Amino acid sequence: MAETADLIVVGGGIIGCSVVHHLAQLLDRSTRILLLDRGPVAGATSGSCMGHLMVTPDDAQEYAFTARSVQLWRELNERQGGFDYNPTGALYLADDPTDVELFAVLQQQFAEHGDRADLLDPRQLRELEPGLAHDLPGALFYAGDGVVLPMLACGAMLREAQRLNQHVVVRPHCAVTGIDRDGDRIRGVRTEQGVIAAPIVVNATGVWSPELAAMAGQPRLPIHPRAGNLVITGHHVSPIRTQLLEVGYIRFAHSAAKVDPTRTDDAGGHAVNMQPQTNGGCLIGSTRQFRGMDRELNRELLHRSLLRAQRYAPGLADAPIVRTWVGLRPYSIDKHPLIGPWPLLRGLWIATGHEGLGITLAPITGRLLAQQIAGQPTDIDHTPYLPARFVQ
Amino acid sequence: MSGNVLDADVGIVGAGPGGMAAAAALAAAGLRVVVLDEAPRAGGQIFRQLPEGAHAHLAEPPSHDAGHVLLTAFAQSRVQLVSGATVWDVRPGRLWFEHDGASKLLRCQRIVLAPGAYDRCIPFPGWTLPGVLTAGALQVMVRGFGVVPGQRALVVGSGPLLLPTVTALLAAGVKVVAALEASSRWRALRALPAVLGNGTRAREAFWYARQLLRAGVRLQWGWTVFGCEGDGRVQRATIGKVDANGRPRRDTARTIDVDVVGAGFGLVPSIELGLRLGCRAQWNAVRGGHCLVVDGEQRTSVAGVFVAGEIAGIGGSAVAIAEGELAAAAILREVKGTAVPSAVVQRVQRERRAADAMLAAFAPLPGLHELAQPDTIVCRCEDVPLARAQAAAALHGDSLRAIKVGCRAGMGPCQARICGPSLQALACGQHYRAMDLPVVQVPLKVVRSATIVDAPTG
Repeated sequence: MAETADLIVVGGGIIGCSVVHHLAQLLDRSTRILLLDRGPVAGATSGSCMGHLMVTPDDAQEYAFTARSVQLWRELNERQGGFDYNPTGALYLADDPTDVELFAVLQQQFAEHGDRADLLDPRQLRELEPGLAHDLPGALFYAGDGVVLPMLACGAMLREAQRLNQHVVVRPHCAVTGIDRDGDRIRGVRTEQGVIAAPIVVNATGVWSPELAAMAGQPRLPIHPRAGNLVITGHHVSPIRTQLLEVGYIRFAHSAAKVDPTRTDDAGGHAVNMQPQTNGGCLIGSTRQFRGMDRELNRELLHRSLLRAQRYAPGLADAPIVRTWVGLRPYSIDKHPLIGPWPLLRGLWIATGHEGLGITLAPITGRLLAQQIAGQPTDIDHTPYLPARFVQ
Repeated sequence: MSGNVLDADVGIVGAGPGGMAAAAALAAAGLRVVVLDEAPRAGGQIFRQLPEGAHAHLAEPPSHDAGHVLLTAFAQSRVQLVSGATVWDVRPGRLWFEHDGASKLLRCQRIVLAPGAYDRCIPFPGWTLPGVLTAGALQVMVRGFGVVPGQRALVVGSGPLLLPTVTALLAAGVKVVAALEASSRWRALRALPAVLGNGTRAREAFWYARQLLRAGVRLQWGWTVFGCEGDGRVQRATIGKVDANGRPRRDTARTIDVDVVGAGFGLVPSIELGLRLGCRAQWNAVRGGHCLVVDGEQRTSVAGVFVAGEIAGIGGSAVAIAEGELAAAAILREVKGTAVPSAVVQRVQRERRAADAMLAAFAPLPGLHELAQPDTIVCRCEDVPLARAQAAAALHGDSLRAIKVGCRAGMGPCQARICGPSLQALACGQHYRAMDLPVVQVPLKVVRSATIVDAPTG
């Protein structure tokens, strides 16, 4: 007899792990939840990304979305821990005096949501981060942000899920090879290791989600890989204690891309994002480039991002570099993630498309999806993220 | 900038026996050769030279005669040696390296990789205490810098490298309290025909036997270290017998006072440069794990990339010298159309056969992985104890990548060079099946950020 489950989550990255985590919290303790990944848990994007928890104040919806998620992160750390949670706050930096105006804009946005960020003059900035260049025209400090180690966070979420519900099964290195349907309803998945029947399948496969949708005979999902080069230093050399972001980062990272994501000749761009690690290392990003699934390092972009990081923290020039690598972000064509049921195939759910905010948004994503599956009211308005917006 | 770009017909990585042999032969034929090496002086690990002007009176085994011949030929050749060079990226015809605080590039038509090997580390309780060193590190201290590491030494491990570790310590005036070979005498006897059938290896074995006898050091077969302890540095070691598979027999444990421990459980080929170039590798447990695949003339699967020595599988200096000469002959055939002498090909085959037979008798014993306890650190860069690596494998998967992302093991400055070869076997309990091929990332060795930023292009 074929194996059965009540729910199958495909994709053991931070999003899939969070979905499992919240399903285990919200559903009956006898619900059989199976997590499948063709590689290791946290082996792909979530094992090759930065770990920022970042509240973005652009509008009320965006603020609620990110701030609620960061709060869920804080709660997970208090209950479970073990993923290098570090509430460093964030320093928004600029090297051009004209960019200082952007600090005020950002500060005003936080204030509109009843939150606050503080303007630092050059002297205050030097006191907070003496390792930064001394000619910077001040900064904006926001205390609510933090840093986690995503790959360990995946493990923490799954361990708590398994503690809550002993029917949570995690099966890495088991690739889904097909999806079975009964008319307009999902029946289960086929894997390398056999057929598994389940009435609900969640597609949380990030940059590979179009591939899985195609297995289910669905139209192409509007998800495209957006590559990022990352660099990590050795231990105990980080020139910073706070997470650093160029103030242009928000505009650069979270505004609509000006290039066609299906093109492969995107020259790419970069804005500095630096994160102190708990071992004293420093993680340096970030670049953005559309070039398909290619994960070869782009030396030109790497040089530019390191140079830019050295501009803010000159001591980095002498920092030992341990390794560099490339991760692929799941970029959604309208810049918003897809969280909810896929209207063309009953039983198929989607959670992906977070681009560079997947770590920040993982808890709220898992929660919104689990609340919808459980038929419960959602923490925040979930309708902007319904995948149905892409179905005519 | 131009001073930071070098040009050559052949770029060689490593000035050990393989690299020196290839370089001398190529330079003699008139090719422009540049050798990049990390050490202050040529010689590699096996023929390591003391710093210029320093003197030591270390007795040397017969195999070092070939080393002196080679060092002399190398020094007298027109090869350009760049000592203290750290190669951090490689592409066909391009080697990027850090040297004298500057970022440099070597452009060449062909590349010979002869980077040697690493010590295989088998974690045991207390192996991270100061005073506990790998056999290779001990030899660097004694033979490379004339440093006397302690007064009472314990030497443990398996394979031919234990002997030079013991003799180096003896020559430095250190008392070797015990020398423990994990393989049984009977298992080791399998190496005998290979040793006796090869003149140099036979003379070598007798030379070491005489050295140990003279110093009153008796090699104890089927013994190993169970753990080390001490206040701030190693002061005591618990030793005992192991069974035929290397599993510790706890009932035989006893404690001895020591202040330095050399542990040498064999070598692991250093293949990262080859992997970065896309060269094909394959698993060969006898030769130390993943090795680059070569044709009959030291060519890798990537055009213009040749290898010599341990990178194609552990074999020792005689193999490396022969392979260096063969790689040179193969390059000369491509460049000048000269024939590859069959004697050179045959010498490589003969030395490889002897080395393989010898190593087979000391192939890693899987049971030695039972020395580590749940709280024994397995990844010393990231301070990961065995229990956490096992938990990572249980949840994230049983691949090398899964263990890394599940607990950070192997992600530190050594990039799994120390923990990698044992990590998967330890975390998954899969003793010495073919392990996953590691994924290499730039920089291949740790370099300054400025080195990457300032890297010459072209």
